[in-house]
Amino acid sequence: MSSLRREFVKTLFQKRTYIGWGGLFIIPFLIMLAFRFSSGGPHGQGGGAPDVGEQIFSQIRANGLYLMVAALLAMATFFLPLLASMSGSYTIAGEAESGTLRTMLMQPVRRGAFLMSKWFVANLYVAIGLLILGVASLIAGGAVFGLSPVRLFSGQEIGVWHALGLTAASYAFVFVGMMCVVSLATLFSTLTNSSLTAVAGALVLVIIMEALQAFSVFDFLQPYLFTSKFSEWTNFLSSPVQWTPIIKALINFAVWIVGTTALGYWRFRRKDILS
Amino acid sequence: MSAEKFDPAQDGHLEVCEGRPVVLSTHGLTKDFKKLRAVDNLDISVCRGDVFGFLGPNGSGKTTTIRLIFGLIYPTSGYAQVLDHKVPDDRLSALRHLGGFVDDPMFYGNMTARRNLRMLAEMNGEVSEERISEVLDMVGLSDRATSKVGGYSHGMRQRLGIALALIHKPDVIVLDEPTSGLDPQGMKDVRELIRQLGAEGVTVFLSSHLLHEIELVCNRAVILSKGRVIVQGPVSELHPANHAVKVLTADQGRALEIIRRMAPPGGVREDEGYIVVDSGDSFVPEMVRRLVAGDVDVLAVVPALEQGLEDMFLELTSGEMSAAQGGTR
Repeated sequence: MSSLRREFVKTLFQKRTYIGWGGLFIIPFLIMLAFRFSSGGPHGQGGGAPDVGEQIFSQIRANGLYLMVAALLAMATFFLPLLASMSGSYTIAGEAESGTLRTMLMQPVRRGAFLMSKWFVANLYVAIGLLILGVASLIAGGAVFGLSPVRLFSGQEIGVWHALGLTAASYAFVFVGMMCVVSLATLFSTLTNSSLTAVAGALVLVIIMEALQAFSVFDFLQPYLFTSKFSEWTNFLSSPVQWTPIIKALINFAVWIVGTTALGYWRFRRKDILS
Repeated sequence: MSAEKFDPAQDGHLEVCEGRPVVLSTHGLTKDFKKLRAVDNLDISVCRGDVFGFLGPNGSGKTTTIRLIFGLIYPTSGYAQVLDHKVPDDRLSALRHLGGFVDDPMFYGNMTARRNLRMLAEMNGEVSEERISEVLDMVGLSDRATSKVGGYSHGMRQRLGIALALIHKPDVIVLDEPTSGLDPQGMKDVRELIRQLGAEGVTVFLSSHLLHEIELVCNRAVILSKGRVIVQGPVSELHPANHAVKVLTADQGRALEIIRRMAPPGGVREDEGYIVVDSGDSFVPEMVRRLVAGDVDVLAVVPALEQGLEDMFLELTSGEMSAAQGGTR
């Protein structure tokens, strides 16, 4: 059994896996029901760009495709980082907590490869979660509000397939952003034997970064905080696509992913397993 | 299972003890946790076919040593060696020859015993369903093979840990207190299994703080205290030389007087109605002659029971145990 397959099978045997995925499946239907049976919009948009949120949420009743984007907007600030944080935190700390880390490492397995396969599967878990969110949104939105051509923020109208392509790109972008959270949580996971501590550590750092965005005095930090780039996916919904902020955000994500993962890798290879 | 005899073709490059190759050893192995030295310059040698007892009171460094052997923690200095593979430098190769567990064996609770074994065993190469069934049968878990391990008792997890240790027929099996938490029947079964493995030539490294367990199943042992080896060798030779005799006479008071006059100071004591004399074999005929000359009828002179490993263990580790007791007051 390859290490990736083994880690994925272990993930499939955990109940929390299905709780997370189940939540991502249900949320689009809840949004659909809310818009189907009420005339108003949500109390708040929950995203980093309220004007964009208003535009998106106001279109849901007219076009089910907007539900895909609305769900992403609603999930990207807290639920997805929470899920990514939990997924990354379990990699080492969760196994240490349950005592299975020593059972695994008493087998002939390289620590570095072990960590990387866990990191990969933690990211795969988030990717599948995003896929579930997208598919559930498409089903819920399409079934109730129908699918029709989409008007972009820049005013142009595009066909359903083109809109689906841009939405998929937006989901992929958010996934890369969530990889930052997974990597950060994985790093925390190598520093503690408690998955809750690792989740809290990663999540608190994400929340602190998001809080820093709210104060202009910390504006100089914006280019370096990965959370400040989470909403850049909306640049896919313009014509032409605004590539410069997207690429800058991806570079920022890449630095965080590589940096935190490398630190976690370095730490874990030297860690005394006392759990 | 592993061959008991020294095989020059296979083991010619290994160090030899008692005509057999050393398959597990530690060399100046030391581990510090901040200011605490948990393992102190440990040198032990386990020969092929040994059922080797690793004996010490709680906190003496047994589990830390096992973690070092498996490469779970890094030594401050020194190294462990499995066949000719050093740990931690060549940990991966060493682990291919090792099986066992440290502390309580832990598994994935949402998976069955069979799936746990398959998944973990496949990390060390292919394993057949027949072999999985075989080891489950050996540890008496066949009928619970498809139950989720989350519902297993502590004793059942111990057995599953032994099954995992055995599955690849490793050269050395390292078991950390395998009978802890087991009921008397479970303890008996596990000891029987270890004895059986020893009889088949499998090398077993058995950590325990149960002294009689070591006496029951091991042929060689080391006694550890404060991370240091106090004594190492065949279990039969760990007992100190003992020449004491018990004397029973018709007049124990008069006999004690006579014996005390001729015996060296401290060589005579009373124990449960007997006079115990520890002054060497040559002392006995002269003692009997003087007792008879003193009108004391000698009823019996019998060897005192040998001092057990337990007595020796308590004697050797008394300082540590007193300190531990003092600390808990």
